Amino acid sequence: MEYLKKWTGNVLLSVLILAASFGISLMIQTIFHTDTLIPTIFVLAVFLIAMTVDGYVIPILASLFSVLAVTFAFTFPYFTFDLMMPESVVSAVIMLIITILTSTLTTKVKKERKIRAEGEKEKVRANLLRAVSHDLRTPLTTIYGACSAIIDSYDQLSREQKIELLEGMKEDSEWLIRMVENLLSVTKIGGDDVKIVKTPTVIEELLDTVLVKFSKQYPEQEVSIEMSEEFITAPMDAVLIQQVLLNLLENAARHAKGMTELKICVTTENNRVIFEVMDDGCGIPKEQLHHLFTGYLTGTRADSRKSNMGIGLSVCAAIVKAHGGSITAANRHGGGAIFRFDLAMEEQ
Amino acid sequence: MSNNKYKILIVEDESNIRSFIKTILEAKGYQVLDSKNGAQGKMMFSSYYPDLIILDLGLPDIDGTEFIKEIRQSHKVPIIVLSARTQEKDKVQALDLGANDYVTKPFGTEELLARVRAALRNSIHGKETEDGQMAFSLRDLMIDYESRLVTMNREPVKLTQTEYNIVALLSENAGKVMTYSAIIQAIWGVSDRGSIKKLQVNMANIRKKLGIKPGANPYISNELGVGYRMYNE
Repeated sequence: MEYLKKWTGNVLLSVLILAASFGISLMIQTIFHTDTLIPTIFVLAVFLIAMTVDGYVIPILASLFSVLAVTFAFTFPYFTFDLMMPESVVSAVIMLIITILTSTLTTKVKKERKIRAEGEKEKVRANLLRAVSHDLRTPLTTIYGACSAIIDSYDQLSREQKIELLEGMKEDSEWLIRMVENLLSVTKIGGDDVKIVKTPTVIEELLDTVLVKFSKQYPEQEVSIEMSEEFITAPMDAVLIQQVLLNLLENAARHAKGMTELKICVTTENNRVIFEVMDDGCGIPKEQLHHLFTGYLTGTRADSRKSNMGIGLSVCAAIVKAHGGSITAANRHGGGAIFRFDLAMEEQ
Repeated sequence: MSNNKYKILIVEDESNIRSFIKTILEAKGYQVLDSKNGAQGKMMFSSYYPDLIILDLGLPDIDGTEFIKEIRQSHKVPIIVLSARTQEKDKVQALDLGANDYVTKPFGTEELLARVRAALRNSIHGKETEDGQMAFSLRDLMIDYESRLVTMNREPVKLTQTEYNIVALLSENAGKVMTYSAIIQAIWGVSDRGSIKKLQVNMANIRKKLGIKPGANPYISNELGVGYRMYNE
């Protein structure tokens, strides 16, 4: 179905281009009384068709038509066929060569572009996978070690020691849960055929849900909200967009040192909802600003949890992109960082 | 150990999850029955008639939603569904079929215990309403069903008919997740393309009138993409 639609579109486009060239040629002939320009116009037409249309069939047909048109309508004697005229044969051959060369080139470029896009996606995924499997090891070591310790020496350990071990396990499991949530989001949008199912979501309800979850993770961190009283909805996969906001908030809570205020600001502009998560902490180091969203942040310590930031943010970028929006990060003038992303308010 | 403890049936195939749920429930004084598949669960249900069922949606032998359907044919026992994040659709279906609540894996013990309390309270509350319960109160919110009056901090809240009907419906089912379609069915009878939006707008107005701000809503929880729940504790 999709293929048929595309094919019809291509045919229509080609016919349109050829008809336009025919018309222009007719005009030139009547106004300037010259035929010398006409083959050039058709060469351009065939070139354009070969550039835009996939495959060889339509462009070759178009070039044959062009040869016929030039010999039939624009070569003296007008409106008669004399295909065996040497000029026609030569021009036909030249046209065909141009067509085939252009088509080959276009196909090749398109293929390469696809390969490159795929390669990039693959790279992001591979980076994530590497980062995650590396990062999973630390909490797993804690959990495994701590519970083995408790089982093996239950009676030797004091109550406090046991509680301490267990709290470490709990903390690390919570971290693992969040990591797996992120991974799930990536697999949800990573597939080629997977289309995000968007449902109209009330922004106020979305923020409420996010804040309830965030306050469970960081009970002492307050988040203020700034948005208009109007009723705003936007189509989205609410679970994924929640993840974006949670990641951004968590990112601030973990990395914005000296932060006194964490704020989410929602505005609308040109039928898009703009979300801003801002803090007044230490800001983002300049050298990190450019590759914040591209996956694993190299240069972080091997045993540190900081890399979660790279993963979280690249997941944010992937989710926002899959929703047809864009995400940016910047440092604020008065200090602190601001992350901004937007979503369409209507189904596109 | 008295005999009038609540009996809770767990139907879950993962033995580790089953045993940890059993442990925390027993520690809170509930009497726990457990089964590792749907068939065994059904058998346990019909021989013990538990007060609450905790049901995993991904059972090896039967579909969890089938299980709910069968139970709901003749019993009102509250059901809490355990679902994974990949089972969003099944979750809504389970709620529409009559499950009271859902907990998404992985969950914390506090979360599960809170849902268990809410579901048990909801089932008792349901019994009381049949005897003619006249009012509902939750923190600063009071609803007088007879005079159809809602007050917040003793100040009357001016709600429209529809808004009152929604608040009353949620409060009568406090502790239970009400899906969009269940609310729409109860309030408007029929549903069309714009129904959910209509409900969402009404909810936004209710929140505004009750003075509820995002992140600080101790009355009605938003279950995104699913529905709403009035708290009952």
